[in-house]
Amino acid sequence: MKDHSGEGFESLFEKKRNGVKIFAVIFFIVIIGLTSVYTYLSIGVVRDRMQVAKSQAEGTAPVDPSLIDLMKEKAWIESRLKMAASDSVGLSIDLEEHMIQLELKGVVVMKSKIRDFSTSGFFRRMDGNVYFNMFGSPLTIEKFESSIEKNPFKVVIAPKNEAEAEAAVVKKDSVPDENVFWTVKFDRDFELNIQGIDSVAESQKKYQLGKGFEFERDLKNIASSFEHILKFSKPVYTPEILISIPENEAKSILRALPRKALVTIKI
Amino acid sequence: MIRTILIYLTILVVGILFFVSMVLFAIPALQESTLVLPGISHGAPGSGDGSVDQASLEKDINKLQAKLDKFIPTDAYIIINTSENHFYLYKGKELIRQGLCSTGKNERLVSEERKKEYVFYTPQGVKTVKGKQKNPVWAKPNWAFIEEGLPIPPPGDPSRFESGTLGAYKLTLGDGYMIHGTIYKRFIGQSVTHGCVRMLDEDLEAVYNTLQVGSKVYIY
Repeated sequence: MKDHSGEGFESLFEKKRNGVKIFAVIFFIVIIGLTSVYTYLSIGVVRDRMQVAKSQAEGTAPVDPSLIDLMKEKAWIESRLKMAASDSVGLSIDLEEHMIQLELKGVVVMKSKIRDFSTSGFFRRMDGNVYFNMFGSPLTIEKFESSIEKNPFKVVIAPKNEAEAEAAVVKKDSVPDENVFWTVKFDRDFELNIQGIDSVAESQKKYQLGKGFEFERDLKNIASSFEHILKFSKPVYTPEILISIPENEAKSILRALPRKALVTIKI
Repeated sequence: MIRTILIYLTILVVGILFFVSMVLFAIPALQESTLVLPGISHGAPGSGDGSVDQASLEKDINKLQAKLDKFIPTDAYIIINTSENHFYLYKGKELIRQGLCSTGKNERLVSEERKKEYVFYTPQGVKTVKGKQKNPVWAKPNWAFIEEGLPIPPPGDPSRFESGTLGAYKLTLGDGYMIHGTIYKRFIGQSVTHGCVRMLDEDLEAVYNTLQVGSKVYIY
């Protein structure tokens, strides 16, 4: 009797263990299956993006690789000249020289050394025609997102009398511990991410862990991936340039740039 | 029972973590590796349509650079960073002085009783010095009274005029904006003004003596 009930308990335990095993196997098959489908779609979309870039550059004269550096320099100055014709503040970025600068009517009003940067493989592998089609003239910002308010504006109700005015104490601006990160999307369908950092180590830490604004971006990315998997649709591939500069300069540029600013980039 | 639930939960968490790491790291890395076009520096030297050569390109670059350089004023000019409240005084390409200043507080003053609204900010862009004056007298505008909760006096009323408030010099930039001194020196370096640029006495003197009527003022 005793032995019999022991056997029953063992078989029940065995059944449960098998149940867990079956669940784990099915669950992982589903996850791997979905991930594989998503990977396939993701790879396809990169090829499509490159094809689009190539077809847009079609019809232009082939670029002589031995003259590419001079042609890039010419395109860079031409593009900055076009920016100088505008009355607004523009941004120019020279990744070769690790330099980012604000320009107003052709005058460099702010210059900052880029501490660290990375670019999507799309930019590293494009040919000369795609390069000049993309960076041969100023880019226009289409969308702005930032971890801090771009142009903070306070609304103050006027005091009714002298006593009320005296009661309003002038407060010194506090310097909050802000994580300055902003991102813009251009009319040529790629993104520029600017990150405020005070050291390269800090930049890597911030970007890897992702907190605050970056974390929100990661969450959005995961949510959008789920959506594409469920719909079996192709995800969006947007090439990116990530630049790290000192925090106060990242903030100054963010505040100075108009929402539809012109940007010149040299890679 | 609890053990079984924990096992199921662990499987779920591991699966989700696997998926998230694939989406955030592995798939983007795979995407990068599938790009097939050759790099910009690759390709056979000498290919191309032959319409450009090195000499003509270098000539074009020098011409364009000269054109771009013409935008830089040859005489004195000033750059004002409203985000950092910092100024940079230049003579041609040489930086001759820099320091702290105060700029607009980015504030909208709403007077519900008078149904009026005043916006205090320093406008960005290129301005020119329209005029220069020593020992300026401040003609207080209406908002100065509204802000202090005082009744607005009629135009020309003696209570509208204050000496010393603007410091020893002022440089007018148009539309009521000025570069001037201040009696509130402890606020220099902060965004506290109604749109004007305030400076410390020595800096203001240097700016006044260096900039001429017509000099450019770059504000960003």
